[in-house]
Amino acid sequence: MAVKNFGQGTRCRPSRRHIGTLVSLLSVAGCGLHQSALNPAGRDATSISTLFWVMLAGAVVLWLLVNGAFFYMSRVRPGQFDQRYARHILIGGGIVLPVVVLTTLLVWGLSILPDPRRPGDGLVVRITGEQWWWRVEYWPEGAEDPILSANELRLPAGERTEIRLTSARVIHSFWVPALGGKMDMFPGRETMISLAPEKPGSYRGQCAEFCGASHAWMAFSAVVMDPGAFDTWLAAEAADATPPQDEAAVRGADLFLSEGCGACHTIRGTDAAGLVGPDLTHVGSRQTIGAGRLPATLDDIRLWLDHTEALKPEVKMPTYDLSPTELDDLAQYLEGLK
Amino acid sequence: MAERQPTRDEDKREFAEEQASLFRITLAPLVWAIHFVVCYGLVAVTCAKEWDIVAVRTGLLIFSACALAGIGWVGFAAWKQWNVAETGDFVNRGGRAEDRHHFLGHAAFLLSVISVVGVVFVSLPLIMIGGCQ
Repeated sequence: MAVKNFGQGTRCRPSRRHIGTLVSLLSVAGCGLHQSALNPAGRDATSISTLFWVMLAGAVVLWLLVNGAFFYMSRVRPGQFDQRYARHILIGGGIVLPVVVLTTLLVWGLSILPDPRRPGDGLVVRITGEQWWWRVEYWPEGAEDPILSANELRLPAGERTEIRLTSARVIHSFWVPALGGKMDMFPGRETMISLAPEKPGSYRGQCAEFCGASHAWMAFSAVVMDPGAFDTWLAAEAADATPPQDEAAVRGADLFLSEGCGACHTIRGTDAAGLVGPDLTHVGSRQTIGAGRLPATLDDIRLWLDHTEALKPEVKMPTYDLSPTELDDLAQYLEGLK
Repeated sequence: MAERQPTRDEDKREFAEEQASLFRITLAPLVWAIHFVVCYGLVAVTCAKEWDIVAVRTGLLIFSACALAGIGWVGFAAWKQWNVAETGDFVNRGGRAEDRHHFLGHAAFLLSVISVVGVVFVSLPLIMIGGCQ
């Protein structure tokens, strides 16, 4: 069967033969703008990006200087140099310059290092790495119980949000390149990173630590919203699932319970209260399913239900032996859980 | 002219003459290494055990100043031993005992310079990063 690539409509066109390697690489990089540290959408990612460009420019200048000196001394003016002159070059270029450059970079690096560990402005999001998906809990300021979600992170723009990370079984790593640096997630231990997104939009996050067979398929959407829109979304996310309206979806809801899906998944407002797999209360409102594996469209939800193991090797969820009509009904129900 | 034959235990005697210099050459890097281990170890334990980071940080900054002073003292002694200002000899290529003496001073001086840089680099996070972030 054909397995679709994850994506949100972005595809790379093959580069023309006569275009050089550098241009090809740049065009490939351009295809992944929603998952690029070079396309920053937050304060922390901007610091990293600026640091990268300055260091790249500095490295190019140093490379030119060193190779220019080699060229000058071996081709343009070979022969012996005055000892005093050579000594100045060695001490200046070999000791003083590296010390000054490295000290400057160290001071700069240290000045931005504490930013991703600063406390947030109120909202705390706890994320637990599972194999191979993300359990997400929103803790607004003063909340006693979390708002449960999965496989998608939504953040208000212009605010710093504390992300508290842990893992259920193996080491994972949380990384949204467009928003900031990465942070490891360990079983039995909590780590913290805070993100200050600025540009509303959808960005791709990815597990950055090999964690098993489907590590590459452990992704998520990080959606940055205007604060007002975020509050509205969070209130909707806290609510129970809307009961299905049309007949197919009602049949799908019955099927969900009769097939035992509720033993692993929670759909708040129904009898499904399983905690093994992702919370599906509002799965239809997410941008992707299967932790970034496929877009959350009706066709893709059906494809996921029909070929789960092929789409995500070694996943705990089995592929159910359902008839085409039953698959349609179940997909209709899940897609309607907005 | 016949080549000079080494006398009995010549190496041993020459080595003994510079024993103190050879010991001194290791001092600055040793201070740097101790400073590195103490700073990283103590800050890691302090943050893990949630001890008073402000007190530890202040103590480590004083310790860093002492380490720099110690390396400075070793470097000054090494500079005098090198004696380049008087002799004008930077490389000490000669094979005499005096040349070896100057060369070891030269090496100890350069190691002191790199040790100062090392201690300053290790101390910078203490100055720039306040706590356990």
